[in-house]
Amino acid sequence: MLSIFCYIKEFLRPEWWKKFLFVKTPPLVKPDYFRDYPHLTGNECTHELRCMMICPSPGAIEILKNEDGKWAPVIYKGHCIRCGLCVEACPDNVLASGRILEQNETDNTSFLASYYINVNDALCMKCGNCSVACPINKEIDPQLAYNATSSSNNVIMRVKGSKLTIMHPEKCTGCKTCEKTCPNNAITVARVIEGDQDDD
Amino acid sequence: MGIIQSIKNKVRQRSIHVCYVNVGSCNGCDIEILACLSPRYDIEQYGIYVHNNPREADILLITGAFCEQWEDKLADLWEMIPEPKAAITIGNCPVSGCTFNRRGSFVNPPVSKHIPVAASIPGCPPRPTEIIETILQLAPLVFKDYEEKK
Ligand code: SF4
Ligand code: SF4
Ligand code: SF4
Ligand code: SF4
Repeated sequence: MLSIFCYIKEFLRPEWWKKFLFVKTPPLVKPDYFRDYPHLTGNECTHELRCMMICPSPGAIEILKNEDGKWAPVIYKGHCIRCGLCVEACPDNVLASGRILEQNETDNTSFLASYYINVNDALCMKCGNCSVACPINKEIDPQLAYNATSSSNNVIMRVKGSKLTIMHPEKCTGCKTCEKTCPNNAITVARVIEGDQDDD
Repeated sequence: MGIIQSIKNKVRQRSIHVCYVNVGSCNGCDIEILACLSPRYDIEQYGIYVHNNPREADILLITGAFCEQWEDKLADLWEMIPEPKAAITIGNCPVSGCTFNRRGSFVNPPVSKHIPVAASIPGCPPRPTEIIETILQLAPLVFKDYEEKK
């Protein structure tokens, strides 16, 4: 008799009805530290394309000009796997996602990028296509054209003494334009990314 | 709208039956669907029930990059689901092929060119909350006033 009374008492509580009829776990929200699709922080993109280079997923990120004519990364959902590497690789902190930037700040970690140009002299026919196509060369010496035999010594590479000579490999930004324009696949650019941690 | 119709709408919102099919995924997305069943997310409290029988299903969840063998099978499966129905793709794979879309692989994404897809949940894999949210948002749109729309 007492137990029946207890049951009735239990079921008459409004709290019980609320729990019975309505959803019980907290609302579906993502925690703020969730590494979601990277979003723009508002810093200006300097078009170094590190994010595109490091992105492991084909077609996930592109640097496009926005309405104001400024470069800005665009992330394609359905391709991006939210790995967050682009956020870490960007030297200007243009992108942010979850706690990545804060974590890099506290750990003093960053990615260092370096590029190595390698020319296979046996394949190279000294046409100079690579040197003319290189956007950095174009900025340094706009005169550099056909055959790349201009006299400027500040360019990354040019044909000098019937040999393609690399003069300033440190200026290379790793865009691989030269690789794509070479008719003989003689020039290759290796992009090397190093993880770096400052101890102090 | 009649009273019966509004009752139907109410009830249908709390009774969504899903069936999931893996058309060539890495299992990552399937594990996230499984996580939805766990007490942490517990999809049954939202009125979403999982069956692995297309004839009982309202919503078809699709994971994977669409392998060649599914060409006829997925269409058959889609035919078996009674109206009203909707397909939701889960993950990057059904959209872009993700990690499987490379030279020498036999996948044929996107899934939307094989059967009509109502919504896609991108992510590799998406969070369980994203999956549940999408189902909850899509189901009323598809099932509301179904008899009157016919
Ligand atoms: S988060 Fe990863 S996959 Fe997405 S755009 Fe950035 S690097 Fe590419
Ligand atoms: S990778 Fe780009 S910047 Fe570097 S040498 Fe080639 S074209 Fe010039
Ligand atoms: S484009 Fe190729 S073949 Fe021509 S100079 Fe450059 S490396 Fe040599
Ligand atoms: S989207 Fe990613 S996690 Fe999902 S099946 Fe494809 S590869 Fe696996």
